[in-house]
Amino acid sequence: MAMAAASDRQRSLAPLLMVPAALLVLAVLGMPLVTLFRYSFNRFVPGQGMAEAFTWANYQRFFSDPYFINVLGTTVQMAVLCTVLSLILAFPVAYFLARTQSKYKSLLIILTVFPLLVGNVVRAAGWMALLGNNGFVNTILIGVGILDTPVKILYTPTAVVIGIVAVVLPFMILTLQSVIESIDRSIEEAALNLGAGPFTVFRRVTFPLSLPGVLAGTVLVGILCMNAYATPVLLGGPQFKMMAPALYDQMIRANNWPFGAALAFVLMVATVLLTIASTLALKRRTARDQ
Amino acid sequence: MKHLSRREMLASTGLAAGGLALSASGVGAQSLSCSDVYVGTWGGDYQDLLIANFEKRVLGQRKVAVSHDVANAPPRKTKLITEKSGRRGTMDVALLSESDMYEVYKQGVFEELDFSKLKNAGNIIPALRRSYSIPHIYSGKIILYNPNKVSPAPTSYADLWDPKYKGRVGFADGLYVQIIESAAIINGGSVTNLEPGKTKLAELKKLDPKVYPSNEALAAALKSEEVWFTIMWRARGIQWRNAGIPVALAVPKEGATPIIFEAAIPKNAPNKDCAYAYLDAMLDPEGQTGFAAKMGYVPTVTNAKLDPKLEADLSFTAEEQKKFIIPDLETVAKNNAQLLDWWNREFKG
Repeated sequence: MAMAAASDRQRSLAPLLMVPAALLVLAVLGMPLVTLFRYSFNRFVPGQGMAEAFTWANYQRFFSDPYFINVLGTTVQMAVLCTVLSLILAFPVAYFLARTQSKYKSLLIILTVFPLLVGNVVRAAGWMALLGNNGFVNTILIGVGILDTPVKILYTPTAVVIGIVAVVLPFMILTLQSVIESIDRSIEEAALNLGAGPFTVFRRVTFPLSLPGVLAGTVLVGILCMNAYATPVLLGGPQFKMMAPALYDQMIRANNWPFGAALAFVLMVATVLLTIASTLALKRRTARDQ
Repeated sequence: MKHLSRREMLASTGLAAGGLALSASGVGAQSLSCSDVYVGTWGGDYQDLLIANFEKRVLGQRKVAVSHDVANAPPRKTKLITEKSGRRGTMDVALLSESDMYEVYKQGVFEELDFSKLKNAGNIIPALRRSYSIPHIYSGKIILYNPNKVSPAPTSYADLWDPKYKGRVGFADGLYVQIIESAAIINGGSVTNLEPGKTKLAELKKLDPKVYPSNEALAAALKSEEVWFTIMWRARGIQWRNAGIPVALAVPKEGATPIIFEAAIPKNAPNKDCAYAYLDAMLDPEGQTGFAAKMGYVPTVTNAKLDPKLEADLSFTAEEQKKFIIPDLETVAKNNAQLLDWWNREFKG
């Protein structure tokens, strides 16, 4: 009886364990966000900076301006494209890593993680050297006679897609690999035994069972793509604008903190909405398969 | 276990690059109420030359340890503005271009300088002096062109609009105010009326101008001869020419626009005594000469003597100085945000 009471007391005190972490999150994430949210209703005075006010003008400006709507559209398009591409490219690699019995499996996983040890800016600098007009790719293509003049890759959306996919691919591979590993190999073997071809096994068995990994990977990578900064700036060039660089322009170059704060919240809400939408879509697919 | 002092810690993490009091002879040392100074600056050559010409040589004798907060100007401006309400800031000395400096000064960040604390202040070229900053180096905005491709040599900003150079004009993204100003000058505008620059640049847009994300990317494009023309600081042009990039310098007949790089002290600087010592060191004539020779800028003190050949290369003639277009800092500060918006949306878009 006494033991049961002690156990109940322990259980009721358990939520208190979350208090330190919750306070930390509140201090380092919550409070700056609330401050920034308040800034987004302030007014910008050219030459002087931010003035106290309570106005929706910054949000109105964003939603009534085709330029910024276009920037948001570009961001969403790039995020969706890069997420889908990374999913397609990552799945075979993740499957191989999950199923391989090789003694080099750990090494292969370390190699997958390895690019994450190099910062985004450094990797973008590498892509610049490869994709520039006088870069490695053009030099080779001209050298072997495929091209006469360099093809423009650097400072185009294509370069940004290449750069972002390269950044997010390890996240997708590792997320998928851990989920595929948990799928019992004998289920796939049973399907093969019953006459299903490899593609049918993938479509009807492996992929539906790996949907939790697909969901986690898509959400993680989608968020990273929506908020990409260094890669679009360095590989997309000055003409190409996504939300994070546009936000930087307003906050840091124009010193327009109120509008920059509004852009930050629009980006955050758009990211949350996309995350919810993709989660619901994949959950519906899971429910249908079951 | 031995505990590292803050200075040792900074040195071990590389933050105090070159800043340690290397010359501890004490010769000429004067007592200061501080031993550290935190300097917000650009990195690369700029930082290296600060260390070599002022920090080791002048401040080293005064046993002042220097730490650098290295970043491009925009994030450092933001940091200064963010910290302005704090009792204690993180920078003792801020280095910025004159227009950035003015914009931040207008927001109440910098203190009015007490020039009596600067023994070298009397040598500052009077025209470059301001109440809240000291001039460190200066140069001027001119035209750079590829002498192998462009003939005859340009004489006016208007030459960049020549249709035969379609696709061969390139700009650095960060110089949008200066580019708009140049276009305004040849289209009936002035330093207080930059709007005509927009219509003139809209004409240039039809000729497929290129915009590069940084000065370095522009330099690479000039080197590969992807573009043949740009508007840039004379000092940069000299650096690039000396580095083998095919550029020649042309002072436009409209007049060059001087650019001054300055240093100031935030009101909440934690080590003001050392900050003044740093500013004074930056006005040291020998240091200014050494900095100018390497960086391609012109000294801002009258007692810094350059080699005559070098001076002819870096400086503007008396005639050119008479035609200087002096930027209106108030106009730039008030219009910076809308000019950037226009540049991003209309010109680059």
